[in-house]
Amino acid sequence: MTAMKNFVCWVALACGLMAGIASTETSAADPQTIRIAAVAMQVAGKPGYMAAAQYVSEDQTLLAELEKRHVRLEWIPISPTSVAALVNEDFTSHRIDFAFYGDLPSVILNASGFQTRLVAPGNLGNNVYLVVPPTSTAKSIADLKGKRIALHRGRPWEVSFGKLVASNGLKVTDFKIVNLNPQAGASALVAGSVDAFFTLDDAYLLSDRNVGRIIWSSHRAPVDWKMRAELWGTREFVEQHPDLTQLLVNSELRAVAWISQEQNRSRYIKDLADRYGYPQSVVQRDSDNANISWKDYWSPLYTPSVTQHYEAVVAYARSANLIRSDVDVKTLIVPTFVREGLKQLSLDHYWVAQATP
Amino acid sequence: MSTHTSAATAGGAGSLLSGLEIRRIDWSRLRVLAGLISPLLLLVVWALAVRAHWFTEQILVPPAAVLDAFEEVWDSGELPDGLKISLYRLAAGFALGSLSGLALGTLLATSRQAQIYIGPTFNALRQVPTLALTPMFILIFGIGETLKIAIILKATLFPVAIATVEAVRDIPRAYLEVGRALRLPPWTQFRRILFPASVPPILTGVRIALGRSWMVLVAVELLAADTGIGQLMEIGRQMLRIDIVMVGVIVTGLIGFSLDRGLRLLEWALLPWKRP
Repeated sequence: MTAMKNFVCWVALACGLMAGIASTETSAADPQTIRIAAVAMQVAGKPGYMAAAQYVSEDQTLLAELEKRHVRLEWIPISPTSVAALVNEDFTSHRIDFAFYGDLPSVILNASGFQTRLVAPGNLGNNVYLVVPPTSTAKSIADLKGKRIALHRGRPWEVSFGKLVASNGLKVTDFKIVNLNPQAGASALVAGSVDAFFTLDDAYLLSDRNVGRIIWSSHRAPVDWKMRAELWGTREFVEQHPDLTQLLVNSELRAVAWISQEQNRSRYIKDLADRYGYPQSVVQRDSDNANISWKDYWSPLYTPSVTQHYEAVVAYARSANLIRSDVDVKTLIVPTFVREGLKQLSLDHYWVAQATP
Repeated sequence: MSTHTSAATAGGAGSLLSGLEIRRIDWSRLRVLAGLISPLLLLVVWALAVRAHWFTEQILVPPAAVLDAFEEVWDSGELPDGLKISLYRLAAGFALGSLSGLALGTLLATSRQAQIYIGPTFNALRQVPTLALTPMFILIFGIGETLKIAIILKATLFPVAIATVEAVRDIPRAYLEVGRALRLPPWTQFRRILFPASVPPILTGVRIALGRSWMVLVAVELLAADTGIGQLMEIGRQMLRIDIVMVGVIVTGLIGFSLDRGLRLLEWALLPWKRP
């Protein structure tokens, strides 16, 4: 009797499991919702999204067009502590269709066999920083040879770190890399457990509080040394729903076109600082790229430098053993949506493709 | 978990078959084989799940790929190096923790003063989950070796101390009185009465502490470390190399299992009167 009961239980469980799996599969193919993940800072319980993503999330034109088609937009806020792993896990388990996130994790994802496509470049990239304790005597990366450096592995700025190190004739293995997320990395620097910390604009928060000193940033380095974070979609969704993808890309283009106007610059910086709970001066200094104009910084054009950037990411990931197989950058990049979108929005002459310095 | 079920299966199968009058089989050997049933079953379910594509291949990697990943991280030295450092941390933290646990436990069990002064603090501190102390420990000890050893010390000290307190307190009065009545010298009293009476429960405490320390160590290495088996798994996750994560899971499990078995052997060797 109990055996029978047990058997029934198992069968029920198995059926439930299959049904569960089946239902997730149908919802992945279901164009009724578009699920987008984006890095978000939680300020006062409300997620504030990175860069252009926030404007896409508030874009009434996009929402109205989607509503006409009965498509819902669902946003998945991703904690900045571990974006790379979280977004890649969400992609592989079919929980999202799009994500605003970084270059290296995208390459890692595609090397694993899961295919995504870069549908809209975001901007020329975020600046990266090397911070040491205020008492440190180190003046450059070369002085830190053999020392402990906090760096979150697999995050986009690891590639920038690799470029900085290589340009000084060193190797990443010349340092003791401590794999810590940015929050833990900052604590480790303050606690004196590491000799340096490689990170994003949160470097200013440390230097402003006199608990860190920035000895290098990518402001003066070649543009390609910045880390890129932009709009990626699964190959499946992009190929099955090119029209919905186009709507999303158009929204992104409207956003960057608005941000890129000089008169909106201060407003953008203020809003971003508010969303992130950062002092405005942090965003201000971070976005002050002397060698690029504000408008060109926000260019969504697929210039050859985008391809070169991703080729360098793949090369770094291979050399650092982060990926085992090569990734063909040309298949990752789908420039048609931006080209078409710029035409639809009559922005096709707004940005001029130029070789970036 | 799996050893439990398998032991139960083995017991059940044993009584069933012995009812059928097959008695010439050496049961102790078959029991070891029966213990393999559940892991093999797990392997079969795993392989089937991979075949049926219940999850994407990035999430559920086939067993053969995990074997390849094992070879890869073994040959590259990542796994042996990680294991070496993790086991060193465990040995150092566990040795310190169990010795101080033993001392603290004996003190608490034998001295009323100690019980009054330290008892409440001891009982409050042992309620704090070890992992919950990690952020505070990072601030105090940084993220170096001291942190891991301190964490294991905390994970070991309390179970061992508690086991010691109970063990010493539970020694039947009558035993002690016999010792006194026979006027045995103190060393003999310790060797013949105190030690044999208190060691079994203490060893059980030590065994629990060892298992717990290992789990806590791997968890802390996932959070804050540059080396070790936990860190190997964390990097695997960041690189979307679930095969490496699986290697870590399996190796961690096997090591935890062997550590437990090792202490059971020690129990067997130290306590001849407890052998079945």
